[in-house]
Amino acid sequence: MGPLQDEGRHRIGSRVGIALCWAAAIAVASVCLFIIGYLLVQGWHSINWTFLSTDPVASMTEGEAGGVRTPMVGTAVLVLFSTFLILPVAIGAAIYLAEYMDERWWITRIVRIGLETLASVPSVVFGMFGLAVFTLGFFKFLSASGTEGGNMAFGRSFLVASIVMGVHVLPFVIKVAEESIRNIPLSQRQGALALGMTKWRTIRKVVLPAAKSGIATAVVLGMGLAAGDTAIVMLTLGGTMTMAVDKWWQVGNWVEVLKGAGSTLTSYIYFNSPAGDGNSPGAALGAAFVLIAIVLVFNLAAVLLFRRQQRAA
Amino acid sequence: MAPNSQGAAYSAGTPAPEGIDLSERVSRTSSDRYMPYLLGAAAIFSGLVVTLLIVFVVQKAWPVFHAEGWRFLTHGGWDTQLEDAWDPAGRAFFGVKQLIAGSVFSTMGALVVSLVLGLGCAVFVTELAPSWIKLPFESVVQLLAGIPSVVFGLVGLMVVVPFISDHVVPANIGDIVPEIPINGSSLLAGVTVLSFMILPFFVTVAADSLRAIPRSYIDGGLALGMTRWRTITRIQLPAATPGLIAGLVLAAARGIGEAIAISMVAGAIAFVPTLQHGPLYMMLEPIRTMASAIVENGGEAMSVPAIAAALFGLATLLLLFSISLSLLARWSFSLFNRRMGIVTDRSL
Repeated sequence: MGPLQDEGRHRIGSRVGIALCWAAAIAVASVCLFIIGYLLVQGWHSINWTFLSTDPVASMTEGEAGGVRTPMVGTAVLVLFSTFLILPVAIGAAIYLAEYMDERWWITRIVRIGLETLASVPSVVFGMFGLAVFTLGFFKFLSASGTEGGNMAFGRSFLVASIVMGVHVLPFVIKVAEESIRNIPLSQRQGALALGMTKWRTIRKVVLPAAKSGIATAVVLGMGLAAGDTAIVMLTLGGTMTMAVDKWWQVGNWVEVLKGAGSTLTSYIYFNSPAGDGNSPGAALGAAFVLIAIVLVFNLAAVLLFRRQQRAA
Repeated sequence: MAPNSQGAAYSAGTPAPEGIDLSERVSRTSSDRYMPYLLGAAAIFSGLVVTLLIVFVVQKAWPVFHAEGWRFLTHGGWDTQLEDAWDPAGRAFFGVKQLIAGSVFSTMGALVVSLVLGLGCAVFVTELAPSWIKLPFESVVQLLAGIPSVVFGLVGLMVVVPFISDHVVPANIGDIVPEIPINGSSLLAGVTVLSFMILPFFVTVAADSLRAIPRSYIDGGLALGMTRWRTITRIQLPAATPGLIAGLVLAAARGIGEAIAISMVAGAIAFVPTLQHGPLYMMLEPIRTMASAIVENGGEAMSVPAIAAALFGLATLLLLFSISLSLLARWSFSLFNRRMGIVTDRSL
């Protein structure tokens, strides 16, 4: 059997196969675009100034869900706090893994396996971990509102949720940051070392500035993850829709707000969806519109930063 | 600054070579000495956080494992047990068989769908797509990965569930499946939503492993007179199999841990779907997964110690699943890399 016969026998099969691959790709792309488009179209009706500027109402009646002001603030607080908490650890670990660690060392293997495992742990488990740790009486200072009797802390607050969320996004931020540090060409390091710079000075003055955009990509990706997570929020931030203090914008109340329970856009969406108690799909779709807009902005920023990094490296 | 500082250095009579400020060199050396330890501490802490996670979750789950033993895994009845546990006089008893079944069924279903669709996407984006389409398509897949799970749940609840209840569920469903109310929130809806949630993770890994196949493989096939499609199915996909398996395993880890979306669309009733009415009706029956049971009851119910212990028991099971899946993926990846490594050695 010659090659030409072979070609003929398989021509129909290959046409069908190629068509199926195209079909799969078109199907997946259209599902993604449908989800975005559905939310933009359906959510747009709910978006108005009142919706964005009023606080949510924990009502079970349809149409009385209130607005998304505090959930938006909650999302912002959670995203910023969790990022800043883990930033030093994440960047430090990324530098060490990329620049100092000997891959043949047994501790390196353990750290790598640990990070991979951490990345695969579901966010509900992180939420339960947060409740296990931060309900200990020792951590009362993180969640002062309503202690559950005895020597237990309440375990649900913006501070607790930020810490848990930070640990959840940590392995992802480390991975992307390490990758971008590794991608800086060796010649740049050699140039700096040849000029008599020490290793740390080379990293600080040459490698880190060159990897700046890549590290920013890592941080933005982590922020997107933190903004979209629901399970950690529901477990460690509590089910209350409003802030712990009515006048939460006054600086004097900020500590109390951070130590109190609250809501983010994700928990607001869940509460008001037909699956939650709020039963206001319109409000849920409006909040989903805002959330998707935030996620799109984060994604776009990550893509732009990543391109800049590739041009720099 | 250079001339002045050099002058100062020489006037002090130090033997430093030209252009190097000795005082700065000393300070550099000290930060060079402690920085590795500081950074290393950050790295080792990050690598060991997961053990902290295991210790705390397992320790909290200990009461339920101690009380129930293997019955925790082999018995069912979660929904009624949860209500009974609120009664302080009654003895709390927990069995999570149905929840395990829910997690396994929904994840397996989603894996099948995303394997079929994802392989098509991966082959499309690495081999078939015109170059101008590749980048936009990859961005769309990335975007799909970035959509929050609660949004998947909301869209599933507003679109998929009504569609199933209007167009798939027959009017006389009560006669056909008398055991359980069927209203569109089902295993089928859960599988549909979950498939698209885990698909991007599989596609990314699958496309990477297809790209890692050496060009000489494909050229060899083409030189033997194979069509482009035959090189894909007979050479590239078999060579990439360990990488594809790793991607599938990572997607499975995602799927088994998904809580919110599944809890919104899959009925939230602890029930084991059975084949006794045929495969279609099995798909229409509701489920509840381990992860969604945690997130649904992790609020006030946590104040009841027995319920809290049972939920931590579920978290322990999830940890066990996800850790073993991640180790399996690691092993698969190393197999793939070794295979590719052998190839390059031979070609030299």
